[in-house]
Amino acid sequence: MEQAVKPKKTLHLKIVLVTALAVFFPYVLGLFTHLTPILSILVAAGSTILSLIVLFWILKPLKLLIKGTGIFSDGNLNHRIDIRSGDEFEDVGNSFNLMADKLSKTIQNLENDRAIAISEKNRFDEILSSIIDGIIALDFNKNVIFLNKASEELTNYREAEVQGKPIDQIIHLFSDADEILPKTYCQGSFNQTAKLIGKGGKQTKVNLMTTQVSGTVQTNLSCILILHDLSREEELEQMKLDFVSMASHELKTPLTSIVGYLSVFLNESKDKIPKENLDLLNKAFVAAQQLQTLIANLLSVNKIEREQLAVSPEPIDYISIVSKAVEDLRSQANQKNIVLNLIPPTETLPKVLADSVRIGEVVTNLVSNAINYTNPNGKVEVSLKVSPNEVMTTVSDNGVGIPKEAIPHLFNKFFRVSNRLQQASKGTGLGLYIAKSIIEKLHGRIWVESEVGKGSKFIFTLPTVTQSAGILNRDKFDSETIQSGTLNY
Amino acid sequence: MDQAAKKILLVEDEDFIRELYTRQLTKAGFSVKSAVDGQSGLNTLKSEQFDLLLLDIMLPGMNGLQLLREFKTQNPNSPMITILLTNLGQEAVIKEGFELGAQAYLIKASYTPDQVVNEVKNALFGGQPTPPPNPIPAE
Repeated sequence: MEQAVKPKKTLHLKIVLVTALAVFFPYVLGLFTHLTPILSILVAAGSTILSLIVLFWILKPLKLLIKGTGIFSDGNLNHRIDIRSGDEFEDVGNSFNLMADKLSKTIQNLENDRAIAISEKNRFDEILSSIIDGIIALDFNKNVIFLNKASEELTNYREAEVQGKPIDQIIHLFSDADEILPKTYCQGSFNQTAKLIGKGGKQTKVNLMTTQVSGTVQTNLSCILILHDLSREEELEQMKLDFVSMASHELKTPLTSIVGYLSVFLNESKDKIPKENLDLLNKAFVAAQQLQTLIANLLSVNKIEREQLAVSPEPIDYISIVSKAVEDLRSQANQKNIVLNLIPPTETLPKVLADSVRIGEVVTNLVSNAINYTNPNGKVEVSLKVSPNEVMTTVSDNGVGIPKEAIPHLFNKFFRVSNRLQQASKGTGLGLYIAKSIIEKLHGRIWVESEVGKGSKFIFTLPTVTQSAGILNRDKFDSETIQSGTLNY
Repeated sequence: MDQAAKKILLVEDEDFIRELYTRQLTKAGFSVKSAVDGQSGLNTLKSEQFDLLLLDIMLPGMNGLQLLREFKTQNPNSPMITILLTNLGQEAVIKEGFELGAQAYLIKASYTPDQVVNEVKNALFGGQPTPPPNPIPAE
């Protein structure tokens, strides 16, 4: 049906026939017969009517053709024209049918492709919208071109209202007090915790990850933002902190009674009960005090993690705090026959800016650690050095030392140096973490120098009062910023 | 020193602690009364005069600070000395207590009962204050 139709030439013949019928027939008839004028007119009229009939018969397929093309162009792609006139009209009809076949096939293919493309797009939309992380796509001008369902929830915007708008006018991302701008997070790959502020000031803590896309002019895609909602994690973390805090407080109450009663009992009865029994009681007392220490440490860590560890820095007479801490631990050192020395500074010690209770804790902790990790008959030394802006305190021992690989983790929470030769692995691994937090809160630094078998030096600095003016101002600024509420999650 | 004449009110909800402090203070020669919650503490303060108030902060119902505020409003010129009994980590509360007229605070977990007695003596009779509690050595 699709092979090329052989062109016909019958239409000419038909036209000649009609012409002959209309013109020559009356003329020829007139030559051979003498007709009366009336008869001649009748013959002429008859032949005209006859030729008109023949003409209409010839042109009938044209009507079919016009009707057919009309139906086809109205969208009925299955309509075909049926002309069997045996002339050129039949050719035109067949050509039309051929063209219609091809056209409807092409259209069908296009329709199929379109359906596939749509289902493909739907599938990707479905995938993107079912991702629980927020996804935002930006074009080269950092305008939003796509916002998935999760980011609609995070930002409080609908995709339609932000499409084509600059991202930095829609959402704001903060790392602490500083806003992170698109030019920063869309450069290379970015991965950071941030505070997201969306429509109506809606705030969410998120992890922001971005990918730079090497898009083409056609895709016009430059940067993809992935926003991972951290509020659930925050909530769980808060629950954990609340639980530790609550449990520690509940444990502390009866323990305070135990330690209180034991201390009174030991005080009043030490001369009345046999030494053997007194030893037993003393051990119970020491264990109860250790438990108290552990709980106090847990509470301190809990505070650090809640960012509630309060230090009140003021100019203090530092040397008296250090000597008191050293004196308090002298009996502990004597038990192991360790020489404990405080080496005073060569020059007058200026006032340092610190919290006397907290810094006492730090010194006690470091000296107590040094005693614990030094073998009997060893030596522990506390020395102070004055430099222009700070006072440096060094707690050194000639004890077991710290393995190199442990040093980077030393100030981490719950970290303890495992040492099989050393039985002194008591403690919670919280002391150095707390010490570091306190020193840093007081604008000092703390670090360690150590060699296995030779001993360790724990060194920390505290600012002197001369340097402290700037720090005080900075603290004031910090607290004002926090009060303004812009930094609160 | 006429300790027998000095009257102390101890407001503390923990039975063991209350009994222990009462015992030690009585042994030291003080006249001690105690209350188990804020409201009964305030009632006792209204009916009797005391030289010193040992006041726990965390109390059921009316807490220690509310008690102190109430008492100070009604008796702004009372010469009674107030010592707050606290737990670790209540720095903010201590500050508020000082603003309400408390003279000192003790951290219960860090003071032995005898140190508490010492603090009370110092507050009433002056003299050498006990050194601050040993910071709890930490590992």
